[in-house]
Amino acid sequence: MKNKLLSFPKLVAFLFLLLMAIIWVVPLIWGLVTSFKGDMEFKTIGFKFLPVEWVTTNYTSLLVDNDSTPLLHWFFNSLIISVVHTLLVLIVVSMAAFAYGRLHFKGRNALFLFLMATMMFPGVVNLIPLYKIVDSLGWVNTYWAAIVPGAAGVFNIFLVRQFMVNIPIEFDEAARIDGAGDFQIFFRVVLPLLRPILMVVALFSFTGSWNDFLWPSIVFNDIEKMPITSGLQLLQGMYTAQPTLLMAGALIAIVPTFILYLFAQKYFLQSMSLSAGVKG
Amino acid sequence: MEAPVKVIEKKATFKRSKKRTVNWTPWVFVTPHLVIFSLFFLVPILYGIYISFTSWDLVGKPDFVGLANYKEILWQKDSSFYTQFHNGLKNTFIFVLLSVPSCIIIPLLLASALNAKPRFHKLFQSIFYMPTLFSISAVVIIWTLMFNVNQGPINNLLGKSILWTGSQPYAWATLVIVTVWWGIGGNMIIYQAALNGIPKDYYEAADVDGANAIQKFFKITLPSIRGQILYTVVITTIAQFNVYGQPLMLTAGGPTDSTRVLLMDIQQNAFGSGQSIAGIASAMAFILGLCIMVVSLIQFLFLRNRD
Repeated sequence: MKNKLLSFPKLVAFLFLLLMAIIWVVPLIWGLVTSFKGDMEFKTIGFKFLPVEWVTTNYTSLLVDNDSTPLLHWFFNSLIISVVHTLLVLIVVSMAAFAYGRLHFKGRNALFLFLMATMMFPGVVNLIPLYKIVDSLGWVNTYWAAIVPGAAGVFNIFLVRQFMVNIPIEFDEAARIDGAGDFQIFFRVVLPLLRPILMVVALFSFTGSWNDFLWPSIVFNDIEKMPITSGLQLLQGMYTAQPTLLMAGALIAIVPTFILYLFAQKYFLQSMSLSAGVKG
Repeated sequence: MEAPVKVIEKKATFKRSKKRTVNWTPWVFVTPHLVIFSLFFLVPILYGIYISFTSWDLVGKPDFVGLANYKEILWQKDSSFYTQFHNGLKNTFIFVLLSVPSCIIIPLLLASALNAKPRFHKLFQSIFYMPTLFSISAVVIIWTLMFNVNQGPINNLLGKSILWTGSQPYAWATLVIVTVWWGIGGNMIIYQAALNGIPKDYYEAADVDGANAIQKFFKITLPSIRGQILYTVVITTIAQFNVYGQPLMLTAGGPTDSTRVLLMDIQQNAFGSGQSIAGIASAMAFILGLCIMVVSLIQFLFLRNRD
């Protein structure tokens, strides 16, 4: 009797989650199967969930290099931008966090507090001048426009610095007694121990950069140079009448982050609570 | 930025004569970030505020015009920018009001259900989190077809032919549904961690007192995770104020500009085809930024004061 009572909430929870999971999964499955439908079939036959005839023409016509919608090109643009952006963030953030968390210098706390305070400023205000600065650097329509400005963020420094608090300062001191300087302590002692949090920073920098939408749509108008998010917007404008083709494009665009999620799910799920725990 | 650095230099030279040489290595570590931060965040913010007091086409020199831009968008009823701004800001607020509660309540329900650890809860968790990692343009393309009038599964399931993205109130509904589907993963994970941290004895004590599930939720669960709720409410609100991709690609601001949000106007005025009206756009951006700060502050004080 007691067992049954205990399992009742679990059953309710299960049914609720199942219903919601169906709502969550159906668009993806529908998108996937639709991307294998022929354009004619989709438009002429009434509503059918599965394709009558499975075709790959949507993918092949998108992936064949054409000048007006070079999807493969966009894909690699995004890849380069996201990877380099992530590396840049890792370097800049770990160095800064090390200095604010471990080294002593005049004005350190004031400077760090100032940086924290700027997080309150809403980013929309800087959009227009940021374009002007990027333009005067000659970066419009170059990868740099999408790689560098995003590394200005302060939150990651905060996150890594908080994590560093849990690394005993005795490690540094021991190394210092052995004659290590700040650089050696950073590279040999602290950096290896920061791996879990840097993993989190890397994953979020990569996905954030891969999925960024507004900024790339401003700094890229050269079709050859744009990342895939802007490319999809362009694609949507050109092929409104060919939804099955659009669907194939959208699915290609989510492949990298999807694969990343399959392999690094644990880190993604841990990281959210990590970043909230720090703040909350 | 300049001032503190100079002070440090002075004190440093003073010290050097007295004790030992100053260690410059900390500055080697912070400088790369400080340079990027100054050039791509601090300077643009300050410049953006200045620009809002000028007339500027993004190319030539900004002309200082005082409060003219603000006067025009706030009070000059015959100006098209007045209409644009009021409509855009109103729609942005409508979107925030519609989407934020859903982006808090739904993940909270999901997290509570997941916390009961039913069968497959790990799988469910991954499913709900996954769309967070997709780009908004891909998400919108997928959902546009879901809501398609004739070929979409939703209308076919309901047996109706609703013009989802092209008529109200359905256009708002589609925007909120897509936003919730896309973006609740993070909040859900935060709530799960928070719920896990509530001591089990609280609930056991409540059971002894004969409390029911609803009482337990409002008297134990909610108060225990207030910190995380506050955090998620603030960050979700900020995120939704910056809504752009969904109305741009899903409804194109329609029907008849009823879902056209302010960021679309800002983008259009500053970077759209034709001559740039960056001064007006900056004034719009500044007011949007001000709204975001004020609302965050109110939420913070309101949710804090209940202690």
